[in-house]
Amino acid sequence: MSGRGQVSFRNIARTYGNFAALKGVDFDIREGEFFALLGPSGSGKSTTLRILAGLDAPTAGQVLIDGQDVTAVDARDRDIAMVFQSYALYPHMTVAQNIAFPLEMSGHSKAEIGPAVHDAARKVKIEHLLDRKPGQLSGGQQQRVALARAIVRKAKLFLLDEPLSNLDAKLRLETRAELKKLQRALGVTAVYVTHDQEEAMTLADRMAVFMGGEIQQIGTPAEVFAKPNSIDIAGFIGNPPMNLIPARYVDGDVTIGGHRLKTDSTLTGERDVVVGLRPGALRAASDGVPARVDLIEDLGDTAILDLDCAGTLLRMRVSDIEIPNEGDTIKVTARPQDVHLFDPATKARL
Amino acid sequence: MTGKRLRIIAVMAVSLIFLLAWAFPILWSVLNSLKTDQDVLAYPPKLLFAPTLDAYRDVLFGSSSILPNLVSSMIISVGTTIITMVMAVPAAYALARLRFRGKKAAGFYVLVTQMLPPVGIIIPYFMILRNIGWIDTYQGIILIYLSFSLPFAIWLLVSYFEDIPFEMEEAAYLDGASRMKTLWRIIIPQVRGGIAVTVVFVFLNAWNEFLFAVVLSGNTVRPVTVAMFNFVSVEQTLWTKLAAVSVLAMLPVIILGVVAQKHIVKGLTVGAVKGGGRR
Repeated sequence: MSGRGQVSFRNIARTYGNFAALKGVDFDIREGEFFALLGPSGSGKSTTLRILAGLDAPTAGQVLIDGQDVTAVDARDRDIAMVFQSYALYPHMTVAQNIAFPLEMSGHSKAEIGPAVHDAARKVKIEHLLDRKPGQLSGGQQQRVALARAIVRKAKLFLLDEPLSNLDAKLRLETRAELKKLQRALGVTAVYVTHDQEEAMTLADRMAVFMGGEIQQIGTPAEVFAKPNSIDIAGFIGNPPMNLIPARYVDGDVTIGGHRLKTDSTLTGERDVVVGLRPGALRAASDGVPARVDLIEDLGDTAILDLDCAGTLLRMRVSDIEIPNEGDTIKVTARPQDVHLFDPATKARL
Repeated sequence: MTGKRLRIIAVMAVSLIFLLAWAFPILWSVLNSLKTDQDVLAYPPKLLFAPTLDAYRDVLFGSSSILPNLVSSMIISVGTTIITMVMAVPAAYALARLRFRGKKAAGFYVLVTQMLPPVGIIIPYFMILRNIGWIDTYQGIILIYLSFSLPFAIWLLVSYFEDIPFEMEEAAYLDGASRMKTLWRIIIPQVRGGIAVTVVFVFLNAWNEFLFAVVLSGNTVRPVTVAMFNFVSVEQTLWTKLAAVSVLAMLPVIILGVVAQKHIVKGLTVGAVKGGGRR
């Protein structure tokens, strides 16, 4: 089974008139991997997916699937299945006909199609809906039909374009977990586009973070979370995202609100920096920086505190036993290894 | 409560006036078609009379039967409708979907042709057809009808095609369907309603057309709208026969209208309420 669903993007660029949607994207997706394309809207992640699907053509560069250049290959000859954000179910066909359509198009016999449709429907638990029309189904059920239609053909690649964004919050969490299990069970390479960093973090084996038509970072979710390599990613990943505070750096220490904070940086000299602090990395300490509690967002098991630290907003995550009162002044600090430093000019990690 | 009731009564009264104004000519035709030649000229008009089907028997099977004309009308209308639809469906799909140079200009041209006063172009059409010897032929009349039914049908159908999300087609391509297969299996089944409406409108326009027919037809091909005037002459008007032919000519229209009523109302609102007309 080697060489099934391995993807390489070679310097892909796409411009629409004067607008550069993608500015030279270059990365690989490994076989069997759950790979997320994460980024805010307009960052180029959807364009990348559409180019991989063959629904859009790059202005420059090549797309390779299993080592073969498919840049000029028609979408329907790429052996790719896709779940669209709108699901794109065929409203005039029953669920069974919808799921059977890709098999019919590839010339399978009736005898093969029937069992395959039931098998796919069983995998996403919609066997009881096969005779319905899409218009008679709930959003969650329609989503499952779209999944079944995508997995029935056992394509090389499985593309998902924001498949969960039209579901309500509870259903989204459930489907997210099932999606991951399904992908593992099928062992298929999945490419997943989302603007929701939590979805990317939980689902992906690896992810590429898009900003402004470029990939800013590629890595496992844990890597990207632990070491965001730019201010933009630091401010995008995590909920709430990293606190970013302009500060002065002198020989391994930074000064915030008149108080010194140790870092694990070995840079010498003095310079302006942007300090990144995860809300969850902040902790109370008697020798910490004083900060006033402005607002408490209680989430039940944890709470998010809005702290006023000498005029700078800091957000801090605390467990339910540590919740102070609004108006209290507390002292906060962070371990040196939790203090991220960025260059304010280039926005890059220092 | 009473204010609301008054309003309902007022609306009903106004509606009734409009209904009577609209229905009067039809009722008049139906009543007169059932009278004898004596009854029809009686003054004051007889509301109670002994109905007879003599007029219908005469115009259908008498010496000046309009059966050939009904057949002509049917050939012209069906022919126009079929050719229009065969050409309009792909054209509307192209206008709705494909990006090509001059697309806007083409769309605008389609609309402009609808605004030309027919009287302005009837003479040139007559001369063209006479030069190629197509006056008083089916192909001549159908060709001229196509020149206005085709733009109309395209214009009507485009809005239906535009209603189908692009993702639906992309999904079909990724499922392995060719462009033609996508059109046949995915797109056209979803615009069935729009196609039904267009068929009805094109057929009715062709069936009801009089102005071009009277100039371009002759003794061989004469649709019923023109043939009706056989019963009006300098010496006299054969009211009962004229009324009977009118009723016969209206019959297909009324039947089609009743059958397609649901689709027509939906079709007329499809542009106004996005997506409301389909499904």
